[in-house]
Amino acid sequence: MNNRAMLLFIPVLAAAVVLQVTVLPVFLLPAFKPDLLLVLMIFMALRGPTGSGALLSWLLGALSDVFSGLYLGLNAVTYLVVFLVIKGVSDRLYAESALLFVLTTAGVTLAVFTLNMILLLMFTATPGIAYSMFTDIVPRLLVNCFVASLVTLLPGFDRNLEIA
Amino acid sequence: MGILKKYLLVLLVGFGVLVALIIFSLNIPRNREANFMERGVLSLMAPLLRPLSHVSGSIEDVWDNYIQLIDTRGENLRLREDIRSLNARLVAANEALLARQRLERLLEMKKSLTPPTVAASVIGEDGSSWFRTLVIDRGRSSLLREGMAVVAADGVVGQTVKVAGESSRVLLLTDHASGISATIQRSRARGVVKGKGEMLCSLEFTTREEDVKVGDLVITSGIGGVFPKGVPIGEVTMVKRGEYGIFQTVSIRPIVNLAHLEEVLIVQRGGYE
Repeated sequence: MNNRAMLLFIPVLAAAVVLQVTVLPVFLLPAFKPDLLLVLMIFMALRGPTGSGALLSWLLGALSDVFSGLYLGLNAVTYLVVFLVIKGVSDRLYAESALLFVLTTAGVTLAVFTLNMILLLMFTATPGIAYSMFTDIVPRLLVNCFVASLVTLLPGFDRNLEIA
Repeated sequence: MGILKKYLLVLLVGFGVLVALIIFSLNIPRNREANFMERGVLSLMAPLLRPLSHVSGSIEDVWDNYIQLIDTRGENLRLREDIRSLNARLVAANEALLARQRLERLLEMKKSLTPPTVAASVIGEDGSSWFRTLVIDRGRSSLLREGMAVVAADGVVGQTVKVAGESSRVLLLTDHASGISATIQRSRARGVVKGKGEMLCSLEFTTREEDVKVGDLVITSGIGGVFPKGVPIGEVTMVKRGEYGIFQTVSIRPIVNLAHLEEVLIVQRGGYE
């Protein structure tokens, strides 16, 4: 990621955190809050470089953990795993495709849900959380896909970060 | 003849004035009635006056609606700005009134608590929908520590976790990881209030023999030293005793509306480093 992309990335990240934590909860029910950081990570995984991207995806997950739940590192691990999986196949895909971005968001939402649930059930004492997670997954999936579709409308979406 | 010619004008003027005075004096007793001259003039002028009055009305309309309204747009903008300003002040006044009412209730709760407390505003919510936490604007600089009790005007909110310099996160009592020692106010039956997500809790470890009924108020037991004794937690909404098992299933609805919290009190007692 070059300096220009990084300069753009930081305010976008700050805006995403503020929206996620302060603004959206006022207007949306908890189940309908989009995972803006997740969408950002997916964008990076499909379009960004591998080395710094892996570190950034871990940091994005950790940032998500700072403002969510009790377990720092939970989302950091899942984001990193998902990033590496996407990166492993993204070279063989037409990464500039809007449809692919939305479909990937749907798949990643389910993958993060599954990984988080497994980790929470294995390592934490929160027996009832699986129920809460299952009740939220459908609206969360739809909202994330909606946000991803909005991202594809942004100018410059079809530009490659590595080349730029 | 020469004299007459000389004073003819004066005589005519004098005669005219005299006639005018005579006419005037003759009309004084009948000043409310039209005489032949008035009737004649009015009758003659009426056909002319009617269309002219329409024309002058139109001219007046043009004057009032267009020429005199040169400044109306500016005045309109000023008035709109005044309305906006007044509306903003009205909203601010209403907001201040509501804040005052909330803070008065919070102050009552503060007075009812023995340990020192510090007030905080809610500045954020959990980033995810699976966990139930809040972000408040007080931290270590306000002598907060992890594990301190957080209450609102109506009752228990949760406990502080992840305390930073100027902000902290509060684990709500509805989070799956939350557990608060509690008592049923009426029967003194004990248990632990555990979060169930979705703005609900359950009273766990209450044996089947304990007297618990729908509508009972659940309060903090004071055991553990985190929460002061007797702070309302919630109301029992369902009690289920199965045929087998040691414990009964008790659902609780929190007494505090956790979805619309704005100010909280942190009880500065206990906690851990």
